[in-house]
Amino acid sequence: MEFNIEDLPVLFPYPRIYPEQYAYMVDLKKTLDAGGNCVLEMPSGTGKTVTLLALIVAYQQHYPSHRKLIYCSRTMSEIEKALVELKELMKFRAERLGYEEEFRGLGLTSRKNLCLHPSVKREKSGSVVDARCRSLTAGFVKEKKEKGENVDVCIYHDNLDNLEPHNLIPNGIWTLDGLLKYGEQHKQCPYFTARRMMQFCNVIIYSYHYLLDPKIAERVSKDLSKDCIVVFDEAHNIDNVCIESLSTDITEDSLRKATRGAQNLETKINEMRESDQQKLQDEYEKLVEGLRGADDGRQEDSFMANPTLPDDLLKEAVPGNIRRAEHFVGFLRRFIEYLKTRMKVRQVISETPPSFLAHLKEYTFIEKKPLRFCAERLTSLVRTLELTNIEDYQPLQEVATFATLVATYEKGFLLILEPYESDTAEVPNPVLHFTCLDAAIAIKPVFDRFSSVIITSGTISPLEMYPKMLDFTTVVQESYSMTLARKSFQPMIVTRGSDQAAISTGFQVRNEPSVVRNYGNLLTEFSRITPDGMVVFFPSYLYMESIISMWQGMGILDEVWKYKLILVETPDAQETSLALETYRTACANGRGAVLLCVARGKVSEGIDFDHQYGRTVLCIGVPFQYTESRILKARLEFLRETYRIRENDFLSFDAMRHAAQCLGRVLRGKDDYGLMILADRRFQKKRGQLPKWINQAMAEKDTNLSTDMAVSLARKFLTDIMQDVETTVVEGVSTWSIEDLRQHQAKMADETIKALTAAREKQLEDEAMAEGRRAEGAESDYEMDEDDEAELMALDG
Amino acid sequence: MSRRPGAGYYTATAAKPGGGMPLIDKNDMCPVCKMMRYLNPDMEFLINPECYHSMCTGCVNRLFNDGPNQCPYAGCHKTLRRKGFKSAFFGDLAVEREVDLRRRVNSVFNQVEDDFETLRDYNNYLQMVEDLTFDLVNGTETKRREAEAQLLQWEMDHKPDIERNRKAGREAEEQTRRRLQAEQELARQRRIAAIQEQEEEKLALVRNREAVLDSMATGGQRVQLKKRGGVKAADITTAAAASAGSSLLPGSLDVGKLSIRGLKEKKKTAAPEGPYDPFGGYDFVPSRYKVHSGLGHPLLERFEHDRAHVTGGYSLEEFTARAMFEAFAGLGVFIEDEKEVGIGLSAGEVTGMAAGIAATGHVMDPR
Repeated sequence: MEFNIEDLPVLFPYPRIYPEQYAYMVDLKKTLDAGGNCVLEMPSGTGKTVTLLALIVAYQQHYPSHRKLIYCSRTMSEIEKALVELKELMKFRAERLGYEEEFRGLGLTSRKNLCLHPSVKREKSGSVVDARCRSLTAGFVKEKKEKGENVDVCIYHDNLDNLEPHNLIPNGIWTLDGLLKYGEQHKQCPYFTARRMMQFCNVIIYSYHYLLDPKIAERVSKDLSKDCIVVFDEAHNIDNVCIESLSTDITEDSLRKATRGAQNLETKINEMRESDQQKLQDEYEKLVEGLRGADDGRQEDSFMANPTLPDDLLKEAVPGNIRRAEHFVGFLRRFIEYLKTRMKVRQVISETPPSFLAHLKEYTFIEKKPLRFCAERLTSLVRTLELTNIEDYQPLQEVATFATLVATYEKGFLLILEPYESDTAEVPNPVLHFTCLDAAIAIKPVFDRFSSVIITSGTISPLEMYPKMLDFTTVVQESYSMTLARKSFQPMIVTRGSDQAAISTGFQVRNEPSVVRNYGNLLTEFSRITPDGMVVFFPSYLYMESIISMWQGMGILDEVWKYKLILVETPDAQETSLALETYRTACANGRGAVLLCVARGKVSEGIDFDHQYGRTVLCIGVPFQYTESRILKARLEFLRETYRIRENDFLSFDAMRHAAQCLGRVLRGKDDYGLMILADRRFQKKRGQLPKWINQAMAEKDTNLSTDMAVSLARKFLTDIMQDVETTVVEGVSTWSIEDLRQHQAKMADETIKALTAAREKQLEDEAMAEGRRAEGAESDYEMDEDDEAELMALDG
Repeated sequence: MSRRPGAGYYTATAAKPGGGMPLIDKNDMCPVCKMMRYLNPDMEFLINPECYHSMCTGCVNRLFNDGPNQCPYAGCHKTLRRKGFKSAFFGDLAVEREVDLRRRVNSVFNQVEDDFETLRDYNNYLQMVEDLTFDLVNGTETKRREAEAQLLQWEMDHKPDIERNRKAGREAEEQTRRRLQAEQELARQRRIAAIQEQEEEKLALVRNREAVLDSMATGGQRVQLKKRGGVKAADITTAAAASAGSSLLPGSLDVGKLSIRGLKEKKKTAAPEGPYDPFGGYDFVPSRYKVHSGLGHPLLERFEHDRAHVTGGYSLEEFTARAMFEAFAGLGVFIEDEKEVGIGLSAGEVTGMAAGIAATGHVMDPR
């Protein structure tokens, strides 16, 4: 269907549109017009991706600026899905418009997924593929080849050089599969095609890390222009991604490897000094000028700032004491030895970067400044030495990144040394956590650089938390409810067991037999009445294991076994995927199954239980984080001191977003239905933190149920929902045809006019009042409230 | 020094494993007396900065308690003293030695960036120092000598500068130390404050509940149950004084000070409304006549006390009042006038009305 939003013609590839999709588009357009950021929450399964793409593509094509879209998603499958949607959309547009638009959309993923080289692509591990690819494709390999030396090259990569650099691949949307096929046909490398074409395409779809992880963003995303539209989809976890991208864990093993790396570097340097003195000298000359120097000749703003490489570093010259390669290696060695010594301490230490630096300086005479240049200096050295087996230097690189970060940021980071894995462990296994506490640091360059950043997800409540944590301002913050012709999901909170005793997974009561038995009863009852699949979420693996063994002792599992197959998620990815496969088979053939999994595990994120694969989701306990972790404690304290977010608020927010994420697994579209059960006494108070669309569907009376009440409610819901319903009921309420949409637009226009006139009248009134007040002279400020009342009335009317 | 101390024990074993040396971690066996950590778990190693050869405390005591002695390592002819031994900070003794040398170099070359006119000069200076250190640490015999001489030369040339910078450096260090301490102290205080705040809140909640229960138990005064959220909000905003107990007593919560829109009491209350009047103030006291209480009719008096006719809620006065009303109802209406004005009534309706009036008149006739 085709319609206008204000002056923007939008082509929507379906004959019907959901009201919330329309509202979403309107808000998106508002954001793009204003050139600001926004946070939008739209229920899962309401076609968020296609809405987003439809509007942004329309926006790109209609306005002359042709802003590029960078769409970031979390997993491979989501990236692939988005590409397929985009392809459909463009096909529809071409049909409607009667011609193919000049449009290019590409997805980018790791080398492992895109490699065509016959031997490299057989490697299992991603990092090995990366390393082998580099050894075949690096610039100096080609130079050597040209000199006539006998070196291995990748034919797929070298073929790219024969093509026009801005037209490696024709216009159109290329899914990852499509890209592979095209690459195979034309014997060109899909990975480098995608990477090199990034400047020349209208839509890029890739993973968060290409934008947030400083190590990757530096290489991949630095050339993107300023007016790009950046979208983070499924962004409810974005703060954790940011933090992880800047945190490092250093172990004794990684330090050992780093030492070996430094030794290798030294031998390489000596070799090179004997064979090719000139290269080292060239590098040295360049470093005298500054890291990037004037040689690049690019405009200043063409770089995206990098947290590991602040702007001022680029302009400055490398400190004299690490300019020479051998000096720098010695410098690294000293630093690594220092870290090794620190790791020998047998008590927990947590310290801030400044105190770490002071101690470091006292013992090794390493100053802060050269430390800041560490990562960049190492990269430069590696480039000069033309090292091919990069993965050997990975640990060294990590140490160097750590050095740079610790010297750059005084605030927002913390060093925590944990000598033992757990409190009871006897054998020391020290880990130095260098943890980032401030999610805003990693994402700051993105907000600084791009004018419009859109953060969206199915469950991103409470919305105001994200701007606070990531430190940005929004133009629009909106949560959309789900318009449904009939209630297709039933959320409820079970607070009491069948014996009317409160149930909770709180620390004090979690292992009491009565609580465990009540949870068991709940499980049995629901496995009896639920058709097909049922998913159960536990707060942690540890608790899941203990409760399952207790259930086994009580004979509860035998009871459940009568109705459903029982499958369990484990930390092992392969086992879990096997369990999932079995689960799907059992659900599809009518046996029915119950999947026991963990609220923060792999299943809770990214695996959809649509239709018969999930009719009930049971969330046992509030999925709080493990609060005894020192890293979490440090982060909580940081949040309190910096952003005034209280510990409990954050913990409860974090728990509820995970709970919501779990609940959202079952409902994957408007024709889907399912039960959502939150089984813990504590959920009752936290209800307000659920996403609006879930909260609205839950009546007050459904928030304090006992097991038997919940069962009867569920029975009633299931019998109601399983009746067939004619599509006419749905029409115009939860889906709009073009006529419905026009009506709605007309209505909205009317309302806008009304609101405008009301505002005008009010303004006149205000003016009159203000005049009157001036005449009367000073008055008490109580009078103000009457104005406000008038305003309230105006809003009501 | 025939053997280069830089080639530390650790690196040597790592480079050529099994090259004559046993493959035991150097932390586990003393290379001098071959004592194993297995036999003596508290074994510690000491080194002497003269030659950086490590040995266990036992060996040190054994060899050097009676005054200076030669290093027990084969080929090392340094004379060592008991006093010079210390435990190594770094695992890699080469680094230990380098750092010791650096300490010396740094005490002489202690200029800072501000001492130079341009950044490049400073960087060149840094490199010069680094070159010198590198020579001292890794250089050949001649290079080392040269570097040593250069170091002494510089020390002679820049004596006042060095002294001044040393002082400044100490001061700066002291300052950062103090700053760090102050920051830590502040953070600690904030942490305590936050915990206290939390506890107070919890306490206030409990007290609130108790107060409500108490007042319910004692009865008497009207219990005013407030919404929990409201109390909390008030607590936070008026955080300062208002001890939780007092703020909970009904009415003592000072709402007037908060200007929350819509919550404020209105100043002008509307005039008190009387009871609802369905007739909108119409007066039913007849104006054209007066109904006397004693009016009656002999015909009716029969029924007045007849139980078959009397029914609850009706009285005979009612009948007379109604009869009088109907009798006078048509008196102010002139049919001719109505016709002339033509209020749009059809002739039929008018006659119907007239008939009705006539009929009532007829009914009233007997009176």
